[in-house]
Amino acid sequence: MEITVNGTSYEVDSEPDRPLLWVLRDELGLTGTKFGCGIGICGSCEIHLDGAATRSCITMLSAAEGKSIRTLEGLSSGETLHPVQQAFLEEQVHQCGWCMSGQMMRAAALLEENPAPTNEEIESTMNANLCRCGAYGRIKRAVARAAEIQTTAGGGA
Amino acid sequence: MSERAHEQPDRAPEQPQDGWYVSRRGFLIGMAATGAALALGIPLGLPVVRRTAAGLTEGDAGGFASGTLDPLVWIKIYPDERIRLYLPKAEMGQGIHTALAQIAAEELEVSWEQLEVLHASTSEADGNFRGTSGSMSVTTLYDPLRQAAATLREILRAEAARVLNQPAGTLVAQAGAFQQAGDPSSRVTYGALVAGASQWQIPEDDVPLKAPSEHQMIGQSIPRIDLPAKVTGQAVFGYDARLEGMLYGAAVHPPTIEATMRAARPGQAESMPGVVQVVIEDGFAGVVAASRLQAFAARNALEVEWEEGHLWQQAELEELVSVGGRGGVSIQREGKAPSILKEGTTLESEYRSGMAAHATMEPQAALADIGGGGGRVWTSTQFEMNERRDIAAALELEPEQIEVIPTYLGGGFGRKIPLSSVASAGIEAARLSRAVGAPVHVGWDRFEEMRNGFVRPLTHHRLAARLDDQGRIEAMLHEQASGDALFGGFPQAVAGIVGFDFGSTRGAQIPYAIPHREVTAWRRPMPVPTGSWRGLGLMANIFAVESFIDELAAAAGMDPLQFRLAHLPDDALGQRLRAALEAAADRAGWGGSLTEGRAQGLACSVDGGTVVAEVADISLDAGSGRIRVHRVVAAVDPGRTINPDGARAQIEGSIVMGTSAALFEELTVKDGRIEAGNFDRYRLLRMGETPEVETILLEAPDGKPRGLGEPPIGPIAPAIASAFFALTGARLRQLPMTPDRVQESLGA
Repeated sequence: MEITVNGTSYEVDSEPDRPLLWVLRDELGLTGTKFGCGIGICGSCEIHLDGAATRSCITMLSAAEGKSIRTLEGLSSGETLHPVQQAFLEEQVHQCGWCMSGQMMRAAALLEENPAPTNEEIESTMNANLCRCGAYGRIKRAVARAAEIQTTAGGGA
Repeated sequence: MSERAHEQPDRAPEQPQDGWYVSRRGFLIGMAATGAALALGIPLGLPVVRRTAAGLTEGDAGGFASGTLDPLVWIKIYPDERIRLYLPKAEMGQGIHTALAQIAAEELEVSWEQLEVLHASTSEADGNFRGTSGSMSVTTLYDPLRQAAATLREILRAEAARVLNQPAGTLVAQAGAFQQAGDPSSRVTYGALVAGASQWQIPEDDVPLKAPSEHQMIGQSIPRIDLPAKVTGQAVFGYDARLEGMLYGAAVHPPTIEATMRAARPGQAESMPGVVQVVIEDGFAGVVAASRLQAFAARNALEVEWEEGHLWQQAELEELVSVGGRGGVSIQREGKAPSILKEGTTLESEYRSGMAAHATMEPQAALADIGGGGGRVWTSTQFEMNERRDIAAALELEPEQIEVIPTYLGGGFGRKIPLSSVASAGIEAARLSRAVGAPVHVGWDRFEEMRNGFVRPLTHHRLAARLDDQGRIEAMLHEQASGDALFGGFPQAVAGIVGFDFGSTRGAQIPYAIPHREVTAWRRPMPVPTGSWRGLGLMANIFAVESFIDELAAAAGMDPLQFRLAHLPDDALGQRLRAALEAAADRAGWGGSLTEGRAQGLACSVDGGTVVAEVADISLDAGSGRIRVHRVVAAVDPGRTINPDGARAQIEGSIVMGTSAALFEELTVKDGRIEAGNFDRYRLLRMGETPEVETILLEAPDGKPRGLGEPPIGPIAPAIASAFFALTGARLRQLPMTPDRVQESLGA
């Protein structure tokens, strides 16, 4: 089966019902996407499937065929960090960092769809992802900051 | 500045060249022929190293040591100006690599960009004094690291003086170079000195350290050095470790708390897709497969006969962990509280706290590459030396035949301290790798993580006190029982000498000036494996003691803040507590008017010398019984702060984890097994339920840094519970404060 990840096509011979998470991590070596619960609750494994935030631990490989997959490794454009990555660095959000791949991918999908979310919209979207280190306050600030960076960059372009 | 702790698995361990030279000041100096690097190490395990060193010839030049004299921490300067800091501390999100690098850079006088940090492997630094726990990393390394860095700088200064032919005292160290004041043309870099020197002069005296007012690195909010790799997904955690040709493994775990394996057979597993080998050896059964899910599936197909043992129920465990009877150990005793309280008490209360999971977002994980003569293991661990010891023992090898290379940790909270009573991903990976002759990665799933690790123990507390005519506490008693927090990991002989579990009793002592006060602790080992969980006994004990103080304030008809202030000891600690309580209360608007339906509660704690006071604002959804914490103001005095933003992050994290544990988190046992297996039945706080946290950082007059990762988790539960009392007039005396318990306390 052929899948497209971060703009590159890969031929994978896994069974079609294998969760995408393990294809990305173990077969393609893209370990930026993390395993947390395996049942779609925690959000550590979130990626973009055709731009939509998707839990890769409960998404079968077959569901990704013909779609564009984006992982944390593909979020930046070369050396230039995505506004979400910039903002998470600025706000020094990460503690252990394990859940943050999913948090950043979810935030990036939100900003794609809604470039100027309100605090309530940020909270209701990001509420779906667990962070054991307790960085929720900083995540919220960083998503708002990312929206600002994105708007400024977009306005200047 | 860069983080080199977690390079690709192919990195070779590095040793200082030619062994270590012991200076007369007790430092270890590693040096070699002209042109090589210069290294200086701290023998933190001083007594052991001194004993070993005693056999060496100690002339003016000291003596050369054997390779067994490895330092705990070492700094290495290369001719190309790179400076490496080898640390014995795990980066699990607490920012320790950044903080320790700041401390070293302060005295080294180097530019931040020159520094590289490595979490040393077990072959790269001393084995006996390592581990990351107890909020002790900065506390224990602050002085030795500065002294080592300053000594290294002075060794270089002497060489610079020789090269420049100038008096050493006229040279200024800055940004990794020496020069004569005001003469940039005289500049000579550390790297050039290292490249050119063939002999070094070692300072004979202690090198004076900078006064805190001169600090330029310590006290600055320098960005975390591990974050650039974490925002791009390049950081390697134990679950992420990879080697060419690696396979995936999974092992069976006991289905009940007391289960022991009677027999195991491959069953269908051998013929399942992807399976490379089934491994059954002395009480262990596992599989190696081409992919992780194939390994899980085949593992589940193994035919294992278990001796189930007693099928424990929650009520039996709670009965087991109760105060009273034989075995109580007095851990604080002044005056004669028991006899006074026998004559009559003003108040008696009982408190309980439940079992909790660490719920690290990264489950246990290890990659092992083991041959006949030993090998290497990459793993997320807080105690790499214990991993090495346990893996070597399981494989019947010498510890030196195993090198454990620590990776980043996706959360620790105490869970990544190996405990011999529970299964270890490192041992499982090592056994499977040896059997199959290839690298094997074992990463637990969430169910294994919830049910096959160890948990925070149950506790039970009985408190009693008497107030005098003026409403002052005359006598107070705290009787505490807990499952093991530290003793589970101690050899029995050590446990016997220590006498009581100083982990489970953290926070149990009464800090207030009360003429008659007594604390007695009962160790109640539980059949469920228990161990350290952020703060160990701190959360449960502070919940009991501070909630009871709040009850006494109400009984005395006094404001909880004033009541506490009136009972503070008249000493330095009392002054620090007063400052923290007043700062938190002031910022929180204590005693002022609040939005309708809200109330405030307050609590404080002392842990490892760090003083914390917290005020929580809460409301209650009467229909559901849900408590909502809106805002927490925390005043924290860790003595001295190395990195203020990093410190705030630790305080925020402690308070959020503590709020989660105080309101929701409870593991229960039914029919011999832990009920929750995943986050659907083990609820963690989410963003929408998270309080705004405001932090005030205070400093102690002595300027000594203390721990910060755990202490702020102490006062949060009693602050919430006393706010609940202020709101409803009802008391919550059991953790977690779930909606059911809220309704019950309200008589609903």
